Amino acid sequence: MPIYEPLSSEKLTVVLDIGTAFTKFGFTSEFAPRYIIRSEVRCKRTNKIRKLSSYESPEDLHDLLVDFIHAIYFKFALISPKDRPIVIVESLLCPTLFRETLAKVLFLQYEVSSILVLPSHLVALASLAVDTAMVVDVGYKEAVVFPVCFGLPIIQAWQALPLGGEAVHNHLKSLLSNANPGLQNLPEQILEDIKVRCCFVTKKSRTKSADIVPPPDVKYPYKGAQTLTVTGKVRETAFEVLYEEDNDHLCLSTMILDALLKVDINLRHSLTQNVFLIGGTTMTIGFKARLKEELLSQLKNEQYKMLNIKEFKFHVAPCKENYASWLGGSIYGATEFLNLKAVTKDFYLREKHLPDWINLKDVVGLKQDNGIRGAF
Amino acid sequence: MSYITGPEVVSYACTCGLLKPIPQLYFCRHCSQLRCGFCVCHEVDSIFCGKCSENIPSAEARVKKNRCASCFNCPSCHQELSTRIATKGPVVNPEDAKQPSPHKKTYYLSCYFCRWNSRDVGIPDQGSATGAWPERENVHAHRLQEIMDTYKQVMMSQKQQKENDKKKQRGKFVSFTDRTGVTSSAIRKRIGLPDIPHAMLKKPNPPEPAVAKLEVEELPDSLFTDPVNLLEITTIEQRHLQPETQAATVDMLFPIHKQLSIKRSLRCRRCEHNVSKPEYNPNSVKFKIQLFAYYHIPEVRIVTVEPLRAGKTCELILKFTNPTQHETTIAIKYVDLEQQATYVEEQKLSDVIEVLEQLSLQQPTSLPSLSGSQPSSLLSLTPRQPSITVKPRKINEEVNCDVAIPDSSFILPPRDDAAEYDDSTDTHNIEDDPKLVKWRKSNKAFIKLQVTPMAHLEVGKEVICGFTMQHIYTNVIATTIENKLPQKYEHNVRVFLRLGNVVGQE
Ligand SMILES: [Zn+2]
Ligand SMILES: [Zn+2]
Ligand SMILES: [Zn+2]
Ligand SMILES: [Zn+2]
Repeated sequence: MPIYEPLSSEKLTVVLDIGTAFTKFGFTSEFAPRYIIRSEVRCKRTNKIRKLSSYESPEDLHDLLVDFIHAIYFKFALISPKDRPIVIVESLLCPTLFRETLAKVLFLQYEVSSILVLPSHLVALASLAVDTAMVVDVGYKEAVVFPVCFGLPIIQAWQALPLGGEAVHNHLKSLLSNANPGLQNLPEQILEDIKVRCCFVTKKSRTKSADIVPPPDVKYPYKGAQTLTVTGKVRETAFEVLYEEDNDHLCLSTMILDALLKVDINLRHSLTQNVFLIGGTTMTIGFKARLKEELLSQLKNEQYKMLNIKEFKFHVAPCKENYASWLGGSIYGATEFLNLKAVTKDFYLREKHLPDWINLKDVVGLKQDNGIRGAF
Repeated sequence: MSYITGPEVVSYACTCGLLKPIPQLYFCRHCSQLRCGFCVCHEVDSIFCGKCSENIPSAEARVKKNRCASCFNCPSCHQELSTRIATKGPVVNPEDAKQPSPHKKTYYLSCYFCRWNSRDVGIPDQGSATGAWPERENVHAHRLQEIMDTYKQVMMSQKQQKENDKKKQRGKFVSFTDRTGVTSSAIRKRIGLPDIPHAMLKKPNPPEPAVAKLEVEELPDSLFTDPVNLLEITTIEQRHLQPETQAATVDMLFPIHKQLSIKRSLRCRRCEHNVSKPEYNPNSVKFKIQLFAYYHIPEVRIVTVEPLRAGKTCELILKFTNPTQHETTIAIKYVDLEQQATYVEEQKLSDVIEVLEQLSLQQPTSLPSLSGSQPSSLLSLTPRQPSITVKPRKINEEVNCDVAIPDSSFILPPRDDAAEYDDSTDTHNIEDDPKLVKWRKSNKAFIKLQVTPMAHLEVGKEVICGFTMQHIYTNVIATTIENKLPQKYEHNVRVFLRLGNVVGQE
């Protein structure tokens, strides 16, 4: 009877977390992805770079994914995909078209033996060894808040807003073109670079007062000889779009509080004691400090007073935030869970689709009755 | 060479329905069908380092995380790093001054492209060229290992529990005195004793859950006053090259072991034969098996075309080349796209039936839960599963020009490499239709075709015409095995030509 499987560590299983902007690739039972690459492929016909998210039709997405998965296996993983399992970490909000097309490509084009699909918010908690937390994932396209209680995502309480790297890029673009007249259509890669290397999330107190000394300007080299002035004001206000309330009075901090309002009153306390921030955007300098400030100040609002919350506690991941979900996939994929819960090729050939997240119940049920809760 | 890299002027329709120029196609001799990169099965053949050209067995590559132990890339610009010698003078040490100390060579890594070097980031010089450059370790490794072990164990006991449940469901008698750890633990649970783990299942202490803190990383105040030096801050690409550390400043960048490369072999999905297999030696660009379509299918090139005018017939001259050692006869036929579309539909249906048949065949041999219940050691030994063929798709090309189908066919003699250098002996007793064949030389023929761009085309529109090229293919594999005469059969390829744009009236 195999109790410990020393062989399982030798078996190479790819773990893939395909984000809108970046894809995290690595193998199970490793603690960091081997590569973080852009989720894009070079179109062979036009020789232009195309994002996976730019697909025009299901067939188009299929062909983009065929090229993308090819690069994953033959450029990075260096193993043949055929007859091997694969672990996919995906958001609970992943569009059906995307996950079904990915499954089709993996099963029919690359003939993987099975796919283990893991919900990103849930498995991200694996590296903390906790099973109750308010998981806040701020990525490129959107910010998604998912309360997870006893290993169970509270489906009715999730919140999502298009607040992430993309919103910051757009905001930065308009700030820069205001400050540098005649500057239009800055490519997104430049915006991203300015964001990463020059900008930060400022303190809440500085956004209110008028007479503050802005941080030093940055001369950003652009198009060879030209320079682009990134003013101190631009540097510290680029991320404000995430914290400013929109027309419906929604922003990052209200999302978290609104999610709390939708959760059973008895669970709220432990959720506020376990806020877990993941996703690349949360790695920005000052992001967490500001979010905490915003949360505490929002609590004074009438609508949130009834929550009766005094404080928030934040987790620090034993990894970089942008691959926290991937790491969860690596941990789960290293266990027997892979053999127990993966969708097999036979199942797929018979059913022609993946089981929906209804099967999440299996994941959850398993967690509850096998006593992980007790163990932790 | 421009036809290899340039625009796809002449494209052939692969069996899967994709259009590709002939250098990108393969010809499976066993199925006598065209194949392309999209519809064959790709496999990793051998792994090597592109810099030191060393072959690395897959087990070793796995241990080294697909990276070369001795070659490094620049963490700043990702070019290859060079090892440079830094000769230190004789060590003048008063105590052992009697012994003439030899020149001590030390080495450091340097990038010729961006001038990054290992000394900048404080990596000490090494005593040997392949020196044991320091590796960074994941500071969280210990805790993560603990967590992973616990997860593995919990899932394993879950699996055993499930298997036990299954046994019970089958109505088999389960003896509680059974000496397996699981059942004794079941008794203990039943009678309310604390569960003592099986001796083999040595339980590591379950890791403490992480504790969240009130404090978060504060924004450093220096950020508001200190000027930014962009050269010191890493770009997102540089950070992502080292996912574990993602250093924010350049002084934290460490050299990166070079990623290994692979040679791929390609396999026909229908018959499982290789259509391409490279030689093992990383320095060799040759192949053991190379069933490129270029060696089997006549090549078509455009020689000239008269100015294209909507609704006007013009002359198109094509060059056909026979790449094989066998004479072939080529006939030009109508390109029937509807027929291809029906073929695609038929394949869809037959595929469903095939899958169902395959499943019913597989069922008795495999357990209901399949690989799930097999130990992984067996899993790795499972034989290669039959391939799933890629479903053909409809040819997606807007043909907007009619081709007058010639009444006769023409012959192409076999390729003769010697004849290439010989201008005099161009004698062949082939009776050609002068309306069709304009000129011929050795294995090539220049063919006249009448094409008519459709009347409704506007000026500037690209004209695309297509025809089915039927050629006699001589298959030699059977001859070598069974000593039979070479088999000849007709093979059809749909060829599409981009002739250029419609011009205005004279
Ligand atoms: Zn093909
Ligand atoms: Zn090397
Ligand atoms: Zn460099
Ligand atoms: Zn074949």
